[in-house]
Amino acid sequence: MNCEVCQLKELEVEHFEIREVLRCILHTIVFHRALGLVRPKDVDLELFEITYVQCGVVELEKKIDEKIEHFVSWVEKHPNKKSQICISFYEVKSKPPSWFSNKTERLFWEQWYVNLNVTQHPKPHSGKSHHTKVVVDPGESASEERGSRRVALEVSLREVMFQIIKFVNEKKDHVPPISEGVIYFPHEITVPSSSDSAFGMDMIKRMLQTGHPTMLS
Amino acid sequence: MEMDRESGKSEQIVSQFRSKILHVILDSRVPSFHHHHQQQESFSLSRVRKTDKWFNLVLGHRPAALENLNFSLRNLLDPVIIDIILVQHGSSSSSVDNICTPSAAAAGFTETVIERWVVQYDCPRVVATPSGADTSGLYKKTYRKSIILLRSVYAQMRLLPAYRIFRQLSSLSQTYNFDLVYKVSSFCHPFTREEEHVMKEYSFVPVEALSGLLCVSVTYRTSLSDFNLEPLVSLPPKIITDYVGSPTTDPMRSFPSSEKGVRATSFPLIGVRPPSSAPLQRPHSWSSGFHRGFPFAQNQSLAGSPPAYSTSPMTYDVASPPSDMYGNRIQNPRLSTLQQVTARDEYQLSPPFSPSPSPSPPTYLSGANPLLSHHRSETAPVTIPRPITGRSSRYLSPNSSDTSRHSLPPLSPRSSKHYASSQESPSGIRSYRKIEALRAGESPSGLSNHYSVHKVVRDSKDDSGRFSGLLSSSGSPRIGFSRSSSRLSFQDDMDDCEFSCPFDVDDVDVSDSLNQTRLHSFS
Repeated sequence: MNCEVCQLKELEVEHFEIREVLRCILHTIVFHRALGLVRPKDVDLELFEITYVQCGVVELEKKIDEKIEHFVSWVEKHPNKKSQICISFYEVKSKPPSWFSNKTERLFWEQWYVNLNVTQHPKPHSGKSHHTKVVVDPGESASEERGSRRVALEVSLREVMFQIIKFVNEKKDHVPPISEGVIYFPHEITVPSSSDSAFGMDMIKRMLQTGHPTMLS
Repeated sequence: MEMDRESGKSEQIVSQFRSKILHVILDSRVPSFHHHHQQQESFSLSRVRKTDKWFNLVLGHRPAALENLNFSLRNLLDPVIIDIILVQHGSSSSSVDNICTPSAAAAGFTETVIERWVVQYDCPRVVATPSGADTSGLYKKTYRKSIILLRSVYAQMRLLPAYRIFRQLSSLSQTYNFDLVYKVSSFCHPFTREEEHVMKEYSFVPVEALSGLLCVSVTYRTSLSDFNLEPLVSLPPKIITDYVGSPTTDPMRSFPSSEKGVRATSFPLIGVRPPSSAPLQRPHSWSSGFHRGFPFAQNQSLAGSPPAYSTSPMTYDVASPPSDMYGNRIQNPRLSTLQQVTARDEYQLSPPFSPSPSPSPPTYLSGANPLLSHHRSETAPVTIPRPITGRSSRYLSPNSSDTSRHSLPPLSPRSSKHYASSQESPSGIRSYRKIEALRAGESPSGLSNHYSVHKVVRDSKDDSGRFSGLLSSSGSPRIGFSRSSSRLSFQDDMDDCEFSCPFDVDDVDVSDSLNQTRLHSFS
């Protein structure tokens, strides 16, 4: 079975926006992959005029928050970097036991890459021109800039949400059957670890496991 | 035989999908619908209904109006067209020609379709008979894909522009100069060219069923900024202490109009624009009408927009068919066989869904208080407004004995002309009445409460926690996994039951379901 891959549009976010943006995106993805009995929960973002939907499973909420905190910690150590968070859905299949491998293996059938470019807010400068004696108020321009950036991010975040909806609608054949009593498909969320190389190796390993991934932009 | 079974299940899925999506759309767009749903949910948080189990999406109580709609649109080949209509008081500032019914225009309202959902079961005329091997289990795939489609619709509804004004209207802290109503029919008035310019269409990828494709599309206005949507100004309540008849007032005292503290403008003008013709001052000689009005100040209700259904105990009118276009009819007691089957299955809930002993909060029904009816019949010109701590009765359900609600004008002729099988939200009618009442300075309406809009999680954490707790305590297969979890206790025999559906293989009487939702023969 092929693994469908979705690369989401890159978002330029500031540090304090990371949590909200990631919660919104990850929960939206999982909601569309929670095909068991759910009671949807509407959540309003505080920074944006966007409402997303959660499954309403507390355990899932905690796990996603935990991963987001790991990511935030990583970002603090690696500022101003582009990064990816990957959420992968898999099936557990049993295989003949051997000396070197486990009895079960994970077959990934779908992967989502959330691309973030975490930027630091530039420090305001005095704005005093050498040619004139007029002092430009730095606060106002920085505030306007931040405001326009926030608006642009909201628009982009909406586009990402629509992108998710479009993808889940276009690609349905690869979704495995729903098991009784299971609310959402097993998945793993991978964030950059303290070692960049380890993260990269994880990605390559997963790609090899999935065979021939289909890239969808 | 196998084909018949497949066909029956496929049709059942399509039929239930139409009902479910109707529920999703109306619950996310019509404030009165949504508020009644929330009220009903307060009584049954732990109970998962049979209707909730369809497509594994718990939406809660399905109002009677919805059942009427489902019955009137039971022909699967007819499209279900749901118009979400913005009703605005006064002329719209939009440059686009709006759909303005004659009666609405006469009443000073404009109607604009801001969203149109179309759910269609597209069956080709010539259907190639698939072989048994091809169709076996096809309904399971159809069901699984329908679940995903419904999830997408649910999520997308929250991203479209209309959702924001729905949330505004659902807010209990403000009243507005607009309302959202719905119209469900199997025919629609095409959009004008001007309207098409400002609208965008999105079509979800159809889901294959045995006999056709299940298609969902939405046409929506990309921006609502053209409309002058604003909250109505609310005047602060005034409390008159030295009114005529007050024990502290000298009975021989005169009350000149210029005297401070005795201002005749103290009638509750919450949400009211002062009428241009009627003077703002009221006569001082409040008679017994005032006294009668005073005790009701705390329990005042509105001639507002009730939900589109009756929450009174179901009274079955055997004689009248559920073909009313206005959604005021009561449910037909003659349940279809399909409905009877599903009703039977409702009691076969699995053990995890045991009710929790949570007490039901008291529900305040505006019409349930007989004093309110009495108040409404009085001609009390003034009542002392008091801040109410309960929910604004705007969205509370009416008492069925309140005859004033049944004496509303019928819908506009255009609606009945163009919509062969249609149902419109009574809340639209209520909106007109409410706003008219406000203009005329009649009985108080639109009392604002002091609820503020919180941008927080809508559903309670306890609710979701309890819900998930119920499931996890059942001992059913583990819920989910993540890499960080060390508890990888996943069941290996996950392929035992791959079809997750409210009905099992033997539960549904396929022959009866075929009779109820039979497709017309292809000619």
